[in-house]
Amino acid sequence: MTMESVVPPETSDAEIEGPRLEAVLADTWATAPGFWGALSTVDHKIIGRRYILTAFVFLALGGILAMLMRLQLAAPEARLIGADRYNQIFTMHGANMMFLFAVPVMEAMAVYLVPLMVGTRNIAFPRLNAFSYWIYLAGGLMLWIAFALDMGPDVGWFAYVPLSGPQYGAGKRADIWAQMITFTEVSALAVSVEIVVTVFKQRAPGMTLDRIPLFVWSMLITSFLVIMAMPAIMIASSTLILDRLVGTHFYNPAEGGDVLLWQHLFWFFGHPEVYIIFLPAVGMVSTLTATFARRPVFGYLALVMALIATGILAFGLWVHHMFVTGLPRLGESFFTASSMAIAIPAGVQIFCWIATLWDGKPQFKTPLLFVIGFIVTFVIGGLTGVMVASVPFDTQVHDTYFVVAHFHYVLIGGAVFPLLGGIYYWFPKITGRMMSERLGIWTFWLIFIGFNLTFFPMHILGLEGMPRRIYTYQPDLPWHGLNLFVSTSAAILASGFLLFFIDALRSARVGEPSGPNPWHAPTLEWATASPPPSYNFARIPVVNGRYSLWEQPNELAVADGLRVDRRELVVTSLAAADPEARESSPRNSIWPFWAAIATTVTLIWSIFSPWAVVWGPIPVAVALIGWFWPKRVPEDEA
Amino acid sequence: MRFVLLLACIVMLSGCEREERQLRLDPPVADALNKIRLMPIGIAGAPPEIYFALHRPYEANAYNLNQGKRLYAWFGCSSCHADGQGGTGPSFLDGWWLYGPEMVSIFASIRDGRPHGMPAFRDKMTADQIWQLAGYVQTIGAYSARTAAPSRNDDKQTRPAENRAPAAILFDQGPSPVHADQGPTP
Repeated sequence: MTMESVVPPETSDAEIEGPRLEAVLADTWATAPGFWGALSTVDHKIIGRRYILTAFVFLALGGILAMLMRLQLAAPEARLIGADRYNQIFTMHGANMMFLFAVPVMEAMAVYLVPLMVGTRNIAFPRLNAFSYWIYLAGGLMLWIAFALDMGPDVGWFAYVPLSGPQYGAGKRADIWAQMITFTEVSALAVSVEIVVTVFKQRAPGMTLDRIPLFVWSMLITSFLVIMAMPAIMIASSTLILDRLVGTHFYNPAEGGDVLLWQHLFWFFGHPEVYIIFLPAVGMVSTLTATFARRPVFGYLALVMALIATGILAFGLWVHHMFVTGLPRLGESFFTASSMAIAIPAGVQIFCWIATLWDGKPQFKTPLLFVIGFIVTFVIGGLTGVMVASVPFDTQVHDTYFVVAHFHYVLIGGAVFPLLGGIYYWFPKITGRMMSERLGIWTFWLIFIGFNLTFFPMHILGLEGMPRRIYTYQPDLPWHGLNLFVSTSAAILASGFLLFFIDALRSARVGEPSGPNPWHAPTLEWATASPPPSYNFARIPVVNGRYSLWEQPNELAVADGLRVDRRELVVTSLAAADPEARESSPRNSIWPFWAAIATTVTLIWSIFSPWAVVWGPIPVAVALIGWFWPKRVPEDEA
Repeated sequence: MRFVLLLACIVMLSGCEREERQLRLDPPVADALNKIRLMPIGIAGAPPEIYFALHRPYEANAYNLNQGKRLYAWFGCSSCHADGQGGTGPSFLDGWWLYGPEMVSIFASIRDGRPHGMPAFRDKMTADQIWQLAGYVQTIGAYSARTAAPSRNDDKQTRPAENRAPAAILFDQGPSPVHADQGPTP
């Protein structure tokens, strides 16, 4: 103790120079080698990379399920998959894509990028970050192992009661779905809290609110959406498990429960969920547009306001998923109006991007191609969105393939296209190597054409009356030709994704080395090496504008005065980002991993027995005590 | 490592059978399921060989138990047995089995009927439906909870759900053993 109260000379970064500073920092922030080192790391870049990789594995798995469904539906009365298995497959596809791919991959991009973009050394609450990844992985494994055991959920990705309730949902299939929700909720809430704190308190000095990069803005608002929307579904899934396991009556009308309560709780989460997926994509589009149009994005303030407006409106339109449940007229009218109102901020954003491209000197590299594909596809999806916002039209097409077409247009067009663009864009930052531009163009066109050929005819199938979630159809129905066409086109789409995966895997090994800033991009993540060192920045950058690297192209202003013998970062004020304090950042720890294992055991056990809730928290508490126990490291001092 | 693999295999096997859904049996299998061998007194006996070959699918398979519960409602069992409390017919919930708790006995009771008013259902239900119903009836009088057993209905609650082992909760022997004339209490 007395040793540490004397500060040795070599503990401030102001006193050491260049390579020596980097060596000391690398030592302080290092991830230990080996198996246990990998399990205990709290480096946001390593965890973010794992998150992204895992999410893409789930994307590939979900894609395989989609292809199985298309194979089955290619011909009438096909015998490839039976009804029971098909129910599991479409439920798994939806649940996997929404909960294990779309939301986590956006959070994952933020885990990797937000600390770099705001110029700090690690995400806030780094151990919680490690914990959230393990919980996410456990939830995904549980769902997929259950599916392999013929125990996959078969009640649709929104698991309406009474179908998923105790009377009709036989076995533990619906419980697996509900508990998978709990896993992904816990991990998403954890990441959201980290992002909010990182953005509010760890921005580089000088990065005032109006200088925050747009992707960071979008993740900040997304995080607030997660924090406000997820509790609703957590209540829903927990009460569902209670109904099923111990016979409570939340959704039993005969005992004063309410079936419609489920739909309200689900969609109060489920609609903001759409924006939880979409807003990060919007942030990526704004980032990519500025870089490739070679000019600052048009209407920064309008874009931020549109993000906030979308975030607020997102909580006012969940009922449009429930138009056919027989709600009061006034309610239907209100939610029609609010659903149409969300087209306004969306329109503002589209105009801002077009104006940016119009006025700039666009370089049509692969990421920008995906942005343009996004604009086209998302506008089509938005138009059908305005159509289904109207009650009479929705009543006609509810539960048909029209709706399937609509939400794939907004989800794939609105989120996956920007994400793929974002992967092409940030891949050199993450791996230090470029993805192939030639394969990228092929990938884009295969995916873009394949996507439109696959999903556009589904609008027509829906108008012809083909319902969702049918495992086969009779030969005398007029859907055969189009279904075969859709299935064939899906193969084009799948080949595009296959090419993307091949390109990514190949480029990660043998791609052309990229250097720190291959795109001449303006934001701070490009101010450090690719891939970034464990400490992100040798000295914390100081920000004077929105586009630091364009404004200070030669040498970035930096701050010093941080200790280097312990993990330390700068805490700044919320609005002006004035430096307030030096704050320690936790070291690596294995305890988040054990805490996640204990939580996993508790959650899975509680599907089968209520006693899990009594005994399960004991190992969790033990793990948390280990987690927070002072280890007498310099980080404990403040 | 080998132990972990073995454990995983066991978990997978049990998982598979617990949640598997056989929507329609092959006719020879359904036929063989009908061939129980009963003791001459009509109580207890041996299920057919195929019952074991299928790993006793009607006792621990969630889907079959749940189907049994629906058959219980569809075939009007509750008009005599209520929700298991009994009425003109005997109770299941008291955990007392007039003809013993074995699956074959329950199967025989449903298929062939019993004296004092239990009708025979052999011409109204298929063999596998009778097995499903028998499995379900057994859970009503169960003393240990089965995770595969169905949960409550979306109805007025009259008793704890089958997966809570209602008999274990509700069985009440009274001040003196109630069925002293019929042997030891369960």
